[in-house]
Amino acid sequence: MLKWMRKSLADLAWPVGISLLLLVLWEVAVRKLGIRSIILPPPSEIMVAIWDRRELLLAHLWPSLYLTILGFVLSVIGGILVAVVITYSSTLRRGFYPIIVVSQVVPKISIAPLFIVWFGTGTMSSLLLAVLIAFFPMTINSALGFQSIDEDIHRMARTFMGSRWQIFWKIRMPNALPYIFSGMKISITLAIIGVIVSEFVASQEGIGYLIKLAGGLLDTPLMMAAIAVLSISGLALYGLIALAEQRSVYWQTSSDIGGNAGG
Amino acid sequence: MPTATVSTLPINAAGSSKSEAIPVLRIDSVRKSFDKLEAIRNVSLDVTENEFVSLLGPSGCGKSTLLMMVAGLIHPSGGEISINGSPVTGPRPEIGVVFQQPVLLPWRTVLDNVLFPIELLKLRRADYEAAAMELLAMAKIDDFAHHLPRQLSGGMRQRASICRALIHKPRILLMDEPFSALDAITRDEMGVELLRIWQANRKTVVFVTHSIREAAFLSDRVLVMGRRPATIIEEVKIDLPRPRQLSMMESEPFNQYVRRLRKSIEASHA
Repeated sequence: MLKWMRKSLADLAWPVGISLLLLVLWEVAVRKLGIRSIILPPPSEIMVAIWDRRELLLAHLWPSLYLTILGFVLSVIGGILVAVVITYSSTLRRGFYPIIVVSQVVPKISIAPLFIVWFGTGTMSSLLLAVLIAFFPMTINSALGFQSIDEDIHRMARTFMGSRWQIFWKIRMPNALPYIFSGMKISITLAIIGVIVSEFVASQEGIGYLIKLAGGLLDTPLMMAAIAVLSISGLALYGLIALAEQRSVYWQTSSDIGGNAGG
Repeated sequence: MPTATVSTLPINAAGSSKSEAIPVLRIDSVRKSFDKLEAIRNVSLDVTENEFVSLLGPSGCGKSTLLMMVAGLIHPSGGEISINGSPVTGPRPEIGVVFQQPVLLPWRTVLDNVLFPIELLKLRRADYEAAAMELLAMAKIDDFAHHLPRQLSGGMRQRASICRALIHKPRILLMDEPFSALDAITRDEMGVELLRIWQANRKTVVFVTHSIREAAFLSDRVLVMGRRPATIIEEVKIDLPRPRQLSMMESEPFNQYVRRLRKSIEASHA
């Protein structure tokens, strides 16, 4: 455990170092070139803004986070259930799987205004947009995981009289776990996008609303502060999933796990 | 037609006294076609209790198909396979299978992999843990009981899969080219190990291989199978003393058997 932590800390050193260097360059450049903070505030000013407006930021962060997590959880549950159905019913697989794949071509963000017509401004539209976007990668990844079991493993389980139920829980499920986690990592970032976009379009609260509002007021430091807070929250959610993955998918080495992620 | 006499005999539990008379496994005029392709033509074979029988033939001659039919995974197009007098209609608990690949579950430790059939058969795990450790000790991998498969070498993984096939005390062990994925040196060693394990807990073994030397080294009886559609061309009894060691492979009697088997295979190609 300690060894693993030390290793991941060492892996973090480079990207963190480079990020810090970029922040310093940004600070210096803004000051030297005399760029007005309405155009581009320096990092220090953004940090001050985060501290000064922390209550406002938090008040708008919670609703967004709440909807993101709720949308994510619904997508994960729904995605896995649909994947199971697709795995076990060849009719549904042949009928729906191509539709699911092809429907990926539709830029789902463009549906946001339509959702407002249907469900009004507010949490319902945000939640549905988040689910709509986050659901597909979850489904496709889980379905791939359930279906990608080795034919020999399947045969082995059958010779020992394994039932379909046993084969699902003892083989398909653990086999799908790495795929489910890569689906989750894609879905969480997409859920955030769904919520923020719908808050842009129509909402009276949330980080997306705050960003738009600050933009309208030309309060660039607040806007950047909101973006920073949002990014940090997104990173934290992603990190939690990655941590859960490392704990659950213990039989794969970290390089295998990295290779699975995408999107 | 000896089948009539078999079915009238009372054959329930492991009645070893009758083992000479009653075949544990009977393959009776079995045929198999996949669509229009005839894979197996009229194969008959009786295997008695504790006998080590090999099916020897070129790759793709249908010997694995025959084995999978015995395991109950594939149904014959004609003829009948029976175990202890009752026809095979699907997988049965009296059978343990070792595949070409170890097919261990990567998320389970070696011990949990060995106990996997116990879980599938809904038996009490606690009753079999000691037996599993014993098997692992016999296969000389008990130190790795709590390791994951990826931490083991190919030979060690295949040993674990042999332990898994034996854990529920099957009467028949089916082995489908179990050592063909291993390098030549490991392969010879595994043969010796298998005989040692077999000597310690006697089983009826049906071993599929395309290696002449392996078949001759391991078996009591070798059945040479010809190319598609597969039939049994020749039956060779290997009358060599047991326990067998690798040094036996240099002996003249052994090499005579090898020559004879090779001739038989070559004849089938002509």
